[in-house]
Amino acid sequence: MVAYWLLVVLVAIVVRYPGAFTHANESARANAALDVFDREVGGGNSVIPDQALLFAARGSIPADGTFTVAMGAPQEGWTDLTVTFAETFLRYFLLPRRTAPDARWILCFGCDRSAYPGAAVEWEGDDGLSILKRVP
Amino acid sequence: MTVRAIAGLAALNLGLAVVGTSFLWAARGLPRWTDVLRLSGLGYLLGVAVFGVIWTQLLVVGVPFGGWAVLATLVAATGVCGAVGVRRGRSVPRGLVGPPTGSSLSLFVTASGIALVGLLLEALFRSARLQSLQAFDAWAFWVPKAKAIYFFGGLDEQIFTTSAGPTYPPIVPILDAAAFHAMGSVDVVTFHLQFWFLLAGGVAAIAGCLYRHVPPWALWSSLLLVLVVPRFGEGLLTPQADVLVDLLFVVGALQLTLWLRDGQGWRLACIAALFAGAALTKREGLLYSALALGVTFGASWPRRRSAWPRLALVAGIVVAAAIPWRLWYRAHDITGEAPPSLGASASLHRALDSLRLSLDVLFDVSLWSVVPFVLLLALAAAFVWGDRRLAGFITALLVLLFLGGAWVTYSYPGLPITANEALNPIVRYTGALVLLAGVSMPLLVGSAWEDGPEAPP
Repeated sequence: MVAYWLLVVLVAIVVRYPGAFTHANESARANAALDVFDREVGGGNSVIPDQALLFAARGSIPADGTFTVAMGAPQEGWTDLTVTFAETFLRYFLLPRRTAPDARWILCFGCDRSAYPGAAVEWEGDDGLSILKRVP
Repeated sequence: MTVRAIAGLAALNLGLAVVGTSFLWAARGLPRWTDVLRLSGLGYLLGVAVFGVIWTQLLVVGVPFGGWAVLATLVAATGVCGAVGVRRGRSVPRGLVGPPTGSSLSLFVTASGIALVGLLLEALFRSARLQSLQAFDAWAFWVPKAKAIYFFGGLDEQIFTTSAGPTYPPIVPILDAAAFHAMGSVDVVTFHLQFWFLLAGGVAAIAGCLYRHVPPWALWSSLLLVLVVPRFGEGLLTPQADVLVDLLFVVGALQLTLWLRDGQGWRLACIAALFAGAALTKREGLLYSALALGVTFGASWPRRRSAWPRLALVAGIVVAAAIPWRLWYRAHDITGEAPPSLGASASLHRALDSLRLSLDVLFDVSLWSVVPFVLLLALAAAFVWGDRRLAGFITALLVLLFLGGAWVTYSYPGLPITANEALNPIVRYTGALVLLAGVSMPLLVGSAWEDGPEAPP
């Protein structure tokens, strides 16, 4: 029975090992082929419609600043995950910047800008994305 | 990704290995440098566990986390272990070569096994080096918690109480935060290598622990098989807590198995550290540890007078390590770690569905290849020709683990009966069972091959 066990295990290794090795190599090649922004954003590429928003937010909001996410109706160019998970991703991506309801910075996803009277548009992109800054 | 970041990570993990190896030296003694080399993987995992357990307690009481604090912890832990070793009269390792332990064929099998495992790990290293952060759980809460520890120096209330999984223990975020300090920045690409180090250390730990107890063909064939099963291939480097909790638990369970055979007390010190680490890595870690210790209490019944007080001490250390984190989140009005009413209100119908789901997942060849099937063969061989006591212990542990997985599905009414990982954790849970199967098989077939059970110590 031990010989039979060893035979089954060796056959399984012969079948599986090349696939596992190839998978790891293909994964390494695919990772190397990504540009530096795709690599930095990672899972956010399937959540945030435009990477430029992320880097603009990092450039605009100081490290000790706060932000809030204002979500409007879904627009063309958004993914199925944008409405549900954009805030979760931004909380991760923009740390140490924190979220706060009365934050000075508003990451606007097709939001109603009239809800933020006096807020200036700091950055504006496609797909209804913009960064607003409340004037103190 | 920079060479400086990789060098920093390597230095951090070397530091963890030094802490754990000095722990081993104090507990066991390491007479030769070959012992140091052979047990360096176990030493590394011990270092990870000790470091994580210490920092969990420090963060709970509000000690600020920083690069210098990490370094000071590593130095202090090594110093304490060294002082204990000196006090216990441990000698400095001497000599590189021990007595010859095998034939040329054994050496060839060992060299081939190391080469094949090494080749796979090298490919995984290249994959991890430039990997982007994709897994939802990783960016939804594991890495935000790590960033919070890195940026704010502690268990930041906003991040730790409002992120998903607020009851999940903090060892992985602590390790990630230490990795950020070691790399010099929050490099969420290169930090995947931290998980490669955990994997490589875990593989080395399993191989080093089993090396003297099983034939090389049994060791390396089992290890290779487990490494190449489809599910592990996809998830080994995902920056979450599943792989680490599985490794800490399985290596601890392996030490328990060996302790039942040889009764060496140093193993219990390792088990306490590894299980405490598992309990603070993921919630399942506490369940796994309780099941393993429970089975060991039963298995050591014939020598209960000497064994039970020592096992009770191990259980006490694990519980004592796990409590402060639980107190912290309860103090912040977070609940939900245990299922409501421990599942007592669910129906028999749901219990049967949960059992069926666990069975389907365990014997799914698209996840675990043939591991569960060859495990059954190994158990049968051990029961018929090998060490029946060993086979009985491993069977009891595996059955309880299996039932534990079914209980998780059964007791949380909100979990749908599905193998979809986004909805039910049963696939991740079963990973520990399959890894334990892979680690147990060499012992089982080895005992059958040697034609009879070993004499009890």
